[in-house]
Amino acid sequence: MNLESDKPAQHDEARRYFLKQSSLLTALALVPGPVVQAASAQFDETVAAAFEKVPLKLEVNGKKYKLKVEPRTTLLDLLRENLNLNGTKKGCDYGQCGACTVHVDGQRVNSCLSFAVMHDGKKVTTIEGLADADKLHPMQAAFVKHDGFQCGYCTPGQIMSAVACVREGHADSEGEIREYMSGNICRCGAYTNIVAAIQEVKNGGQKV
Amino acid sequence: MNQFNYIRPSKQQAAIDAVAKDGNAKFIAGGTNLVDLMKRGVMAPQKLVDINRLPLTKIERQGNALRIGALALNSTVADDRQVRERQPLLVQAINAGASAQLRNMATTGGNMLQRTRCPYFYDTAMPCNKREPGTGCGALEGINRMHAIFGFSDKCIAVHPSDMSVALVALDATVLVSGPKGDRRIPFTDLHRLPGDAPEKDTTLEPGELITAVDVPDGPFTKHVSYYKVRERASYAFALVSAAAALDLDGTTIKSARLAFGSVAHKPWRLTAAEQMLVGKPATEETFRQAAAVAMQGAKAFKHNEYKLKLAPNTLIQALKTAAAA
Amino acid sequence: MKEPNKQIGAGMNRVDGRLKVTGAATYSAEYQLPGMSYGVLVGSTIAKGRIKSIDTRAAERAPGVLAVISHVNSPKVPGFVPTGKDPSQPQTVGGRLKVFNDDKVRFNDQPIAVVVADTLERARFAARLVKAQYDQEKHETSMEVGVKQGFVPTQAKKNPKSGVADYVRGTADAYKTGAVKLESEYVIPTEVHHPMELQSITAHWEAPDRLTLYDKTQGTLATRRDFAKEWGLPEENVKVIATFVGGAFGNALHSWPHESAAIIAARIVNRPVKLVLTREQMTTMVGYRPHTWQKIGMSATRDGKITAITHEATGQTSSYEEFTESTVQQTRMMYTAPNVNTRYRIAALDVSTPIWMRGPGEATGAFALESAMDEMAHLLNIDPMEFRLRNYTDKDPEKNLPWSSKFLKECYQAGAERIGWNKRQLKPGSLRDGEWLIGYGMGVGTFGAHRGSSKANVRLLPNGTVLLQSAVTDIGPGTGTAMTQIAADTLGLSPDKIRFEWGNSQFAQAPTQGGSAIVNTVGPAVQEACLALKEKLRTMAGASNGAFAAAKTQDVVFADGYLTLNGNPTARATYADLLRQTDNGFVTVESKPDGEHNKNYSMYSYSVHFAEVRVNPLTGEVRVSKLVSCADAGTIVNEKTAGNQMKGGAVGGIGMALMEAAVIDDRFGRYVTKDLAEYHVPVHADAPAVDVFFVNQPDPHVNALGTKGIGEIAIIGVAPAIANAVFNATGKRIRELPITPDKLI
Repeated sequence: MNLESDKPAQHDEARRYFLKQSSLLTALALVPGPVVQAASAQFDETVAAAFEKVPLKLEVNGKKYKLKVEPRTTLLDLLRENLNLNGTKKGCDYGQCGACTVHVDGQRVNSCLSFAVMHDGKKVTTIEGLADADKLHPMQAAFVKHDGFQCGYCTPGQIMSAVACVREGHADSEGEIREYMSGNICRCGAYTNIVAAIQEVKNGGQKV
Repeated sequence: MNQFNYIRPSKQQAAIDAVAKDGNAKFIAGGTNLVDLMKRGVMAPQKLVDINRLPLTKIERQGNALRIGALALNSTVADDRQVRERQPLLVQAINAGASAQLRNMATTGGNMLQRTRCPYFYDTAMPCNKREPGTGCGALEGINRMHAIFGFSDKCIAVHPSDMSVALVALDATVLVSGPKGDRRIPFTDLHRLPGDAPEKDTTLEPGELITAVDVPDGPFTKHVSYYKVRERASYAFALVSAAAALDLDGTTIKSARLAFGSVAHKPWRLTAAEQMLVGKPATEETFRQAAAVAMQGAKAFKHNEYKLKLAPNTLIQALKTAAAA
Repeated sequence: MKEPNKQIGAGMNRVDGRLKVTGAATYSAEYQLPGMSYGVLVGSTIAKGRIKSIDTRAAERAPGVLAVISHVNSPKVPGFVPTGKDPSQPQTVGGRLKVFNDDKVRFNDQPIAVVVADTLERARFAARLVKAQYDQEKHETSMEVGVKQGFVPTQAKKNPKSGVADYVRGTADAYKTGAVKLESEYVIPTEVHHPMELQSITAHWEAPDRLTLYDKTQGTLATRRDFAKEWGLPEENVKVIATFVGGAFGNALHSWPHESAAIIAARIVNRPVKLVLTREQMTTMVGYRPHTWQKIGMSATRDGKITAITHEATGQTSSYEEFTESTVQQTRMMYTAPNVNTRYRIAALDVSTPIWMRGPGEATGAFALESAMDEMAHLLNIDPMEFRLRNYTDKDPEKNLPWSSKFLKECYQAGAERIGWNKRQLKPGSLRDGEWLIGYGMGVGTFGAHRGSSKANVRLLPNGTVLLQSAVTDIGPGTGTAMTQIAADTLGLSPDKIRFEWGNSQFAQAPTQGGSAIVNTVGPAVQEACLALKEKLRTMAGASNGAFAAAKTQDVVFADGYLTLNGNPTARATYADLLRQTDNGFVTVESKPDGEHNKNYSMYSYSVHFAEVRVNPLTGEVRVSKLVSCADAGTIVNEKTAGNQMKGGAVGGIGMALMEAAVIDDRFGRYVTKDLAEYHVPVHADAPAVDVFFVNQPDPHVNALGTKGIGEIAIIGVAPAIANAVFNATGKRIRELPITPDKLI
């Protein structure tokens, strides 16, 4: 299908016609709640599902993917459940922790809060794409050296965010680092060491 | 989350038509609030119209105003040289909100249209007139620590969570809108509405209307400004109360002022009477206390947010002190 | 003297650091199994009552759905029996929630169904289509009511010597007649662990009687035992893998309903089921620090000698399990007071069961005791550190035993220097920096130094490297790294020649990770196993080589490709030859604590935390500008990871002190703070660089390594240090946490 089409897609009409035949419409309509209402309007997705997947071209860590995905699949779930890139973590799924931070076209974003289809044609970098083959990225090496983690679960997000923080020019002081890293929660509380790692990379002048 | 149709028009009119013709369609831009709400079942649009490819990202001079495109990212606006020079209050407010990642996703238009963070709105198992009209307001006699002290109704006591909007309402911004019936301009104070009997409506936008830009008029508020946000941790939290203060000083005398509160009402809360009271007065703490008293007229608290009756004026005083000292 | 190859003490980088920074560490929801399916839980929307009907038809017919399981169609699980006598499990009366076992609702958001589908999106969608009707009963979730209904835990009724039974030394409630006295009430709200990794499990029935769980747990063996019992299986038929655990802080010490649900679901669909909780469900069904009310009565002489302390506490529990913790324990042993009594009660509410959260009851209790110490010092107009020193005790007044070791005074001194305690003014509100008020406070923490029993497996591999295995988990402290260091020093091998594998129930027996006891317990087992390996190799080599036969264990040296002897480099036994003599089996050693030490000494680790805070008097904002944490934790095995734990505990203490509170709307019995936007935990901007000091003196009695444990004392005492600093800055004594801006304006 052509998503850029400015005309209503044909399948939309076809699907709607199909759905009108659904026998459960009435029964479900008695149940309140927007999700259930939505469900009733498109009840039998087994057939409808054939229409639902949309094409998606994505470059992840330098590798080009041509995919078909449901529009409701988030970038995070696509990475973890479909592309087997589990380095990007699900900590809250609501943009409230930063564990899912990746770079899209070089900018750090929360991959849990956007649908994968919205990134069609874009370049995504995850923690798996940061190191140069066996050579750790300077930020990864600094995190190891300064012990900038404990359980390791928020770590990929911290590192992706830290790299962006330095690139953006928001790592000029301890205070600035703390403010611009506040979107990445570490419940183990390794903040002291994370800030030390970022400062070392920033002050080391290495290319990040 | 339900299945939905997804389209990504390249023309503005097509996007508007798509939403105007389908009551169950929604625009999506940054998605930072809508995706969240869809995950929780609070909103369930059957069609999403992705507007991210529309050419609405520019920040440019337009007469005596800065025109910020609706799709300009929060981070882009906050880092923009012109915005930093001409509207530092706006920069402070944007940077007080969310996190660096979210500001890289959230757009100018979307930030204005974010929905309340009231926990009763978010939990589909609790009553909420905003989510499901007629079910009652869970917060009215519930846990209402974060809730409104101005402009509420017995149907809804939720507050608007945007920081950016508090600066925009103070700065006399105007929202540019394009819709099925053409284009119109909405003064920022009129964009958001009070809950009244229809708390399900956050704004005065008509179905299918799309925010295309916001105009922020030039003004003298380039130095003595402060967006002061009090929250339960030092960053990455919604405000208990926030205050935007912008002063135009002649020596120590206040020539003019712009003031607004955040997180006290269903909309960003402009404080016109307090602004007027400040004109011609010396920029002292005593003056600021008087202004804060004026600002608080008509405030009323609920069981758990009585502290706001004191925190709000104190935050305004703090913002004014910080602005004067800037 | 430090030996050249000594690893203990060195700030060695973590052995799993590279995996963690490259995203290659695999957590429990990240195993790819063929035929994977996804489970999503449906929660009740009432707090108490019965499920009248449950409509699953829409969900069952939704695309991709494999099963919808509720109490209506759940298979009978053979043994939903109460948790056994394992000391790593809570001393609960009653038992775990038997998920889908009946129509009863015991707390809000209790799992009432699980939907399984072929994709995550489809399972999530279908879960929203399940609708239940209830016969609602009146619930009680309010601790205001609970406090009035507190009762003596069954455990204490059965055993008056139990740690949660009432305790009296001297005269009970003697503080009431003291010269200078105070009586204060303190409240800690419900706090939630919220590790960054969501609770996750992948359940896979590999055969009808063989179950594999990739599970977020702190104890692979405890989890194995629970689910083997639940399904009537021999323990060896259940395999639990928890190589990487994305934080837990106690909430993976118990087995929870979602684990049972995933196992049931996997059985029904006959495919692996992955079930990941939502952030909301992390609040509602996997434990929390219980809302606790406390009262301290204290009296002292005018010259600052404590004459009496009474400590009372009531903590919340669920209606179906009695959860208890050591909230009042430290009051019995911390200070010299002739008259001390404690009373601990619990209150059963219509909520899910709490579970130990970092520092557990001791952290809650320390908030009351250490706040009261500060209050008394203020009443007496004595410096709070001086007041503590005047009541310092050189032996355990509770057990009347000598301490195994105690270097708390050293901690006081180091901390006072580092924070700049001499800047502190006795009179609150005396210090200012511009608009901000400055204050200093301190708080002391203590936690029992526990050593349990553990085994360790060790094996020499043909390439001269050594493989160690233990069922223990590493939830973040760096257990794998510490064990590698201990093995390296014991064997005299470089750490890169040692591989320590953990987090698998099929490895050697080890306790659940918790209670700051892992290095104390597994460390000696590793040490002893390595010595046994050396001795075994020496004996084997000695069979054909007289030099080895005559040598001692400690003379054995691992060289490149062969074993040799210290002082006799011509003695050689190649690894290949040695291994030819064996069946390549592990040397397994079982290590147990020496009971004599337990009888003759009282063993505790200690911490003292110093805080400098800044308070904006207009807005009530509190910023912790400096934190110094000092610990007497015995030998420090790894300064880097141990220091990190201390820093992390301090950050957790900032959360307790300033922001963490889970709030229920009692009308609905439902939380209104279910996600990380509503329930605040500290972010980068809340945390100053934490300064850590270790006394680093070995304890001669806990174990041969001299360790005492760190994880708990890192947080115990931090919250009162901050609260006391806020008082010093403002003159406002906040006795109900958290200290949010509204309480200070």
